[in-house]
Amino acid sequence: MSVRSRLEGVLGAVERWDLLDAPGYQVEHGVALTYLLAGRYARPLQDLLHGVWLGHPLHPALVTVPVGAWTAALVLDGLDATGRGGPGTGPAARAVVGVGVAGAVASAATGFTDWQHAHDGARRVGLVHAGLNSAALALYGWSFADRGRGRAVRARVTAATGLALTLASSWLGGALSYRHGLGTDHADRSPEPRRFTPVLGQADLVEGEPVGVDVAGVPVVLVARDGEVHAVGGTCPHQGAPLGEGWLHRGELVCPWHGSRFDLATGEPAQGPSTAPLPCFETRVSGGQVEVRRRAHWRSPTATTTAEEASR
Amino acid sequence: MKADQVLTAHHDVLRGLLRELAETTDDQVADRRRLRDRLLRELEVHTQIEDELFYPAVRDVSPLLSVAHAEHRQIDEQLATVMRTPVDDPEFVTEVRMLSSTLHHHTFEEEQRMFPQAHALGEERLEELGRQLQGRQEELGRSGAMRLIVRLKRMTLKLV
Repeated sequence: MSVRSRLEGVLGAVERWDLLDAPGYQVEHGVALTYLLAGRYARPLQDLLHGVWLGHPLHPALVTVPVGAWTAALVLDGLDATGRGGPGTGPAARAVVGVGVAGAVASAATGFTDWQHAHDGARRVGLVHAGLNSAALALYGWSFADRGRGRAVRARVTAATGLALTLASSWLGGALSYRHGLGTDHADRSPEPRRFTPVLGQADLVEGEPVGVDVAGVPVVLVARDGEVHAVGGTCPHQGAPLGEGWLHRGELVCPWHGSRFDLATGEPAQGPSTAPLPCFETRVSGGQVEVRRRAHWRSPTATTTAEEASR
Repeated sequence: MKADQVLTAHHDVLRGLLRELAETTDDQVADRRRLRDRLLRELEVHTQIEDELFYPAVRDVSPLLSVAHAEHRQIDEQLATVMRTPVDDPEFVTEVRMLSSTLHHHTFEEEQRMFPQAHALGEERLEELGRQLQGRQEELGRSGAMRLIVRLKRMTLKLV
């Protein structure tokens, strides 16, 4: 049996382990309550932790801090234990363990914030990932305290065990990203339609009410608003929700599943959990038909169409 | 009544309350407060009977549980925003409309997609589940503990 197929078996078992659902919902209710109590600050705080400002999830970037710091601690502990480190090695190891603990706490905040919206198998894998990481964090906290009390040997053992747990847990974290696509862009980035294509009679659009259409296999949402017809991608970048079933709030398109909000003119996420923008389409009305064409990603929303392009 | 009929009837109550609330004017402060507090109570009961009885019962026949759960979260968050907005604020109705859109989408998802899937459980099971839902709904409506939870929630949401 190959390494991969063994790991595959572990992943499958965690994904199907439905006993995790009850505690999973309890943990999620805890996260939800925390954010409800944060009141009006809940949204900006969650957007900060999701990485809406960054363009992709903050969590994978932040976890490099504890992993790096704790790896350095392992090296320093090795030097210190074998007497090759010199006098400053012990205090240096304690300092990097501390940096790792602080980084892990921040990583946990971003992780729980992303995880609260995970579905089904990803939710279960995420819960085990969080559990292992919390155990590692507890071990490192203990190790940090032991280093202050001069319990050097026990501190090294707990730290090394913590690193092993962290690495095992990282594998599950990778499965969440690369298998479940949690945090990846789920929008349809097809360059189609390249030419203006009729999609709907203008009379079928009601002011302020999004309509989902399919243009050559590409999902698109049309919204008539203030005398203009806006067209953006019809699949939420966050987890692929059908945005044609969404609605407008303060002029922004709201995702029906997790409440991401998008600017209709630029496709930018005005509110998370989505960290990626929606694809945008140019629109025109010709003979009572609304026509759309994919806006080239490099063209700003206000750029005018050249005569050559318009003639296509 | 079958489970889907019990829940649809309660959806009608929720949709009715939201419609009434959205039609109030900025000077109908007392009406707004009364409708809003009733809505908070009914939503609390609704979420609880679905989470406790209906969703666990349909988990093997519907793939939509996670989506329904996410929609409950979104309703809860928007309800918190409505509770934070003063009833005489011009923005109050805007936030109520947002809550209404969120709830309408959720009830559409259940009535059009999840309830037809639930019929795979068989008519008998749906009748039995309907009786359980109705019983629990009445029980929670009378429950002093539920009233206390709703009052605490209302106070907390207004504070933050």
